[in-house]
Amino acid sequence: MPHAVRRNSATAVADGLGFGLGLRHQHYQEIADAPGKVDWFEALSENYMAPGGRPLYWLDRLRRDYPVVLHGVSLSIGAVDPLDMSYLAALKALAQRVEPRWMSDHLCFTGHAGVNLHDLLPLPYTEEALAHVVERVQRVQDFLGRRMLLENVSSYVRYSDSQLSEWDFLVAVAERADCDILLDVNNIYVSAFNHEFDARAYLAAIPPARVRQIHLAGHLNCGTHIIDTHDHPVIDNVWSLYGEAIRRFGMVPTMIERDDNIPPYAELLAELDHARHVAAQALSAPAEVAA
Amino acid sequence: MTALARLQAEFRAWMQQAPVAPPDRRTSVEVPGEAIAPDALRARVLDTRKADREILLGVYREAYALRLIEALQTDYPGLLALVGPDDFDTMARAYIAAHPSHHPSVRWFGRDVAAFLAATPPFSDTPAAAEMARFEWALGEAFDAADAEPLTFDDVVALPPDAWTTLRLSFVPSLRRLTLRHQVPQAWLQRDSCEPGDLDVPPAVDPDNPVGRPGVEWLIWRTAPDADTQFRSTEADEAWMLDAARGGMAFPDLCDGLSAFAPAGEETTEAWAAQRAAGLLRAWVDAGCIVAADAT
Ligand SMILES: [Fe+2]
Repeated sequence: MPHAVRRNSATAVADGLGFGLGLRHQHYQEIADAPGKVDWFEALSENYMAPGGRPLYWLDRLRRDYPVVLHGVSLSIGAVDPLDMSYLAALKALAQRVEPRWMSDHLCFTGHAGVNLHDLLPLPYTEEALAHVVERVQRVQDFLGRRMLLENVSSYVRYSDSQLSEWDFLVAVAERADCDILLDVNNIYVSAFNHEFDARAYLAAIPPARVRQIHLAGHLNCGTHIIDTHDHPVIDNVWSLYGEAIRRFGMVPTMIERDDNIPPYAELLAELDHARHVAAQALSAPAEVAA
Repeated sequence: MTALARLQAEFRAWMQQAPVAPPDRRTSVEVPGEAIAPDALRARVLDTRKADREILLGVYREAYALRLIEALQTDYPGLLALVGPDDFDTMARAYIAAHPSHHPSVRWFGRDVAAFLAATPPFSDTPAAAEMARFEWALGEAFDAADAEPLTFDDVVALPPDAWTTLRLSFVPSLRRLTLRHQVPQAWLQRDSCEPGDLDVPPAVDPDNPVGRPGVEWLIWRTAPDADTQFRSTEADEAWMLDAARGGMAFPDLCDGLSAFAPAGEETTEAWAAQRAAGLLRAWVDAGCIVAADAT
């Protein structure tokens, strides 16, 4: 494992951003009123692609006090439709305004034939899809003038023509297109449950040097399948998978996504403290890696 | 078409066959779990040991409708309060089928709701619904329209006297003007204090006399970037002057035009019009609606 340089938590904070939250309008005022509880924020790019008004006002204001990263949902990097250059131009303009530490989107497609389905739809893990995505990531990175992070999505279906595992596909995209990875630990757990693969094997396949951010979130377990709803706290099994991820990848900047059933800010702060605790435990007990 | 393109085409077609009713109001042919995904798509998706592929594909299709319905509920709380959840759901599903999203942000998905409701039976039988949608969309547009620094009254006082002969006004980009035949804004303020479906939106003008007053004129605008959106009704002369000013008419011509609205019996219509124009300008400045007064 040439990349597996283990870092202690003191240097990790200096290295990375620490522990963040998704920026949600319900919490704008509380964030301003209680500074310093969160190390950084992730803003959903599309929510701030408006001419003006309150969302941009708050983003402009909070980015003065916190590092911000931008997270998009409409890049549709795997779509066969042409890249949406007006979307990319708006994204680039937003990045010039916000100066995010980095920008991310998802390894998926979100629409077809000009219709935006507003969902993160899984790709078939084929050589054709791989070549297609790699070429588009390179063009997007050239246009934006920066390296992107691509995130693994939760999926409910698996295709009969997939030739690669999801993790091999993700790693191949990252290596060939030279992009980074936003590793969503909950999404690994969800997809592992739905498709009955080993979540730890997934983590073991990911090169640590590519992992620049981690997502955590809650989901809805329907018994026969899990739906990635982001409307519940993170579950214990995902916390332990997160501990494994930190042991393998080091203190990667971590944030909790909550998109629905938004709780009071204090509740998310408490959940984020738990993430700090799990990460610190993982880093102080590296021996468990072998267990 | 390549395999990747075929899959995406099939997946989109499947998602867009969103059911016309929520799960608890579906007829037997629409019960989830019935084999309704096209064979070509079924052939490309695997069952798991725990779930049939139909259930799994259904997760995407149900979520597609629910996500867009939720976006419409966020944009149109007054419409929801007016028609109630069941009719709103029916309306939303019909709209989703007729107006798929073409924008990267779901923020813009609902932009055609008012026109859709006005033109599509049976929704067009309730004209207050289309008016409510028009009003709420305008509120949304004002909410995140471009920011601008409004002019203060001191700025206006500081204008040299000869500037007034050529003065043209510019307005905040958020400013919208609507003509409404129902008491939509008044009802909208009550949207949270009634059971969904019980919101009463009475006519604002005689509904049986379309050649009479066309409706009540309303202004919608936002001042500071983080300010709440405001609205108020206006008289016909103010609405006229506002439209003319936004069209670029100079201040003396606005005064001339206003004299047509002078009350009967007013002896010096010119003096009345000049005073009225100055009063309206003051009101707009005080409300933060004006961003520039240029004497060019
Ligand atoms: Fe995520």
